[in-house]
Amino acid sequence: MKFTFKPSPNFRQAQSTQSIMRDLTIGLLVIFGFTLTYYFTEYGANYALRAVSLMLTSVVCATLTEVIFFKCMKQDIKLSLQTSFPWVTAIILTLMCSINVTYYALAISTIIAVVFGKLVFGGFGQNIFNPAAVGRSIIFASFAGSVSADVITGATPTAALAGSNWLVTSSSEGLSNLFLGLYPGAMGETSFLLIALVGAFLAYRKVIDYRVPVTYITTLFLLATVYGMMNGQGIEYGLYHIAIGGAMFGAVFMMTDPVTNPTCASGRILFAVGCAILTIVIRLKANLPEGVLYSILLMNMMTPTIEKFMDGKQTLTLKKNVITIAIVFMFGILSVVACSFANNAQADEVVNNTNDTYEVSYRV
Amino acid sequence: MSFFTGSMRQHIDGHKELTSKSTVKVVEAGNLVYIPLINMDSTKVEVLVKEGDLVKVGTKVAIRNDHFKVPMFSSVSGVVKANAKVMHTSLKPVEHIVIENDGQYLQQAPLSPLDHKVATKQELVDFMMNAGIVGCGGAGFPTYIKYSGECNIHTLIINGVECEPYLTSDYAMMHENLDLMFTGISAMLKMCGAKTAKLCIKVTKKEFIQQLKDMATNYQNIEVVSVPDVYPMGWERTLVSQVTKLKYEKLPSEVGIIVNNATTAIEFARALSTGMPIIEKYVTVAGDGVKNCCNVKVKTGTKASEIIEACGGYTSENVLLIAGGPMMGKTITNDQFVIHSYAGALTVLKNNPVVSMACLRCGKCSDHCPSGLQPVRIVNAEKVKDIDSLVKLDVASCVECGLCTYMCPSKLDVTEGVRRAKRYMALAKK
Repeated sequence: MKFTFKPSPNFRQAQSTQSIMRDLTIGLLVIFGFTLTYYFTEYGANYALRAVSLMLTSVVCATLTEVIFFKCMKQDIKLSLQTSFPWVTAIILTLMCSINVTYYALAISTIIAVVFGKLVFGGFGQNIFNPAAVGRSIIFASFAGSVSADVITGATPTAALAGSNWLVTSSSEGLSNLFLGLYPGAMGETSFLLIALVGAFLAYRKVIDYRVPVTYITTLFLLATVYGMMNGQGIEYGLYHIAIGGAMFGAVFMMTDPVTNPTCASGRILFAVGCAILTIVIRLKANLPEGVLYSILLMNMMTPTIEKFMDGKQTLTLKKNVITIAIVFMFGILSVVACSFANNAQADEVVNNTNDTYEVSYRV
Repeated sequence: MSFFTGSMRQHIDGHKELTSKSTVKVVEAGNLVYIPLINMDSTKVEVLVKEGDLVKVGTKVAIRNDHFKVPMFSSVSGVVKANAKVMHTSLKPVEHIVIENDGQYLQQAPLSPLDHKVATKQELVDFMMNAGIVGCGGAGFPTYIKYSGECNIHTLIINGVECEPYLTSDYAMMHENLDLMFTGISAMLKMCGAKTAKLCIKVTKKEFIQQLKDMATNYQNIEVVSVPDVYPMGWERTLVSQVTKLKYEKLPSEVGIIVNNATTAIEFARALSTGMPIIEKYVTVAGDGVKNCCNVKVKTGTKASEIIEACGGYTSENVLLIAGGPMMGKTITNDQFVIHSYAGALTVLKNNPVVSMACLRCGKCSDHCPSGLQPVRIVNAEKVKDIDSLVKLDVASCVECGLCTYMCPSKLDVTEGVRRAKRYMALAKK
């Protein structure tokens, strides 16, 4: 008879990190299922097949990279893979790419994402940047022109909106379709509605923290509405900003990445507010069509600072934290107001010099 | 404001159905009973009997004699043997008085009964001290201390929450001693001068709450309050905040509140009416490591091994034998320890291996910590011995309720990490 000693408590909930990652994978695959259905019905089997091949390329690359890495590090490969989840990075990265991305661009960026986004930091749980976001930024930076010629081209709603100086015009995509997502764009980012549903399910299952997407989308909507009202746009202008680009996808699948966001509730709220501000400032002012990705990477960098700042007994630091969040939010409103003035000044110059053509440097 | 701080609590599947419906089984004391010479963490106990003395049920055999006075009593009649050092539920070997049980259970009430309606406050406090009434929620804090001196109390909270998983002994105790419980509460109300007593029961016990409410109509100042089925609802601070919305620094008396366990009230009332101290305990024996889960009624000083045997024995060769519930109870490395006057449960679990992995940084520990701490940050700061951060993170506020480890999806021993940080800070202060 053996009476084992174990420090208390000796009682644990059923949810494990493995089950969290499994649920997340299922959620991502639901989104991918929608993508396949859309491309199959709109453009035919070849496109659906291409989407599947892209996904497989990325997943295989990510897994093989980890296998080789663990082999070199003389770690137990099976055990390490079970606690490293390379496929999650691969699936998210693929869903952020458009269908015309080349296989080799996706493969290279996957490998870089896994190695330099995750493994060199010490593997799962240690990385500072969201690995998938690292991978996507590699594609932005190095493979922007690397698109297959024979597939659908044309500006995405985000690029179109950027092209019209961030104002909604009659040629803009309709709001209802933006929410449904029946248009070509980044493979998994288009359907606001489906991502919101999957996000709600994941939040219900306690896989992701509802605070992050709720705060992010609300803040982004409010900031965009301020900009819209200053520029004679209706209330729906805010809706455009939350519906386009990777806003919802980033909010549900990337900002909630626990490894790269702060651990306390107030910290995650501040993180989401920061992401929203950076998203809209990058959209309105930077020479990039999309701000979600870089807002996430920049805020990932701020995570240690936020955590350090919010260290303490949460019941005692509550007031300080809420005030900080409010100040950052006000700063966001000021930034948007500044963006509005700057853009209007720029627009006046464009009017004075009508021969200038505004060109989007990068295509989403 | 749970949006900014997290819920600070969590519903836990308590497996209470294992024992809540079954009848209480009486387990006779064995040939030898052991009275531990310890109360809380103090072993400054004066022994009042010597080897060879004859004692009866209720004979005062020892007294904790430092700043607290806690008498200890024999639970059987028989002959005192030589003292023995035996494992105690506090995980330390402790001196025990050994009494050879003659099986006759001759009684000798150490006190004469007292009617709380006519007694003065001071008489009641003295009686409570002499009867050795201690907090039966598991801590064993001498109850009379809470009522001593001038106390400005407006509300008495009676804790019948029993939020530890598996435990139903308080419930069984309340269920079988309803009249005594109300008598005890009335006496305590008189002692502290509070206007109302709030008897707190988990909202899931609907029928029981109705039964209590019906009874409470006979008492003007006793109110039955249902509280959410979450852990750690039975913790003093969580309960006070739930019921009164009041926050306090160290003790609930700062904001005019006394919290006592329901079993404590029952034991006090029993002592008042019979003059007998705590000599019997209701103990929940549950878990997948014991054959027949049930509530047992045993004499204090009965060995755990005898109780487990009466419940059909172990189901596995390798078990975790826990004195108390699985969240806060300690695993004891043998089954020779005894049930003392403030023990309420034995949890026996199969020793299933726990596979842990790297911290996901999900923050579930910080979201659920009932003290509002950030366990993950504490553990990380302790790893690099960052004293400044540990001071800021207020490590000392941890009550080791275990909820952080319970929540951790990576199956890490978070609570143990926080304990390490506490020990490190205690050393650093010296």
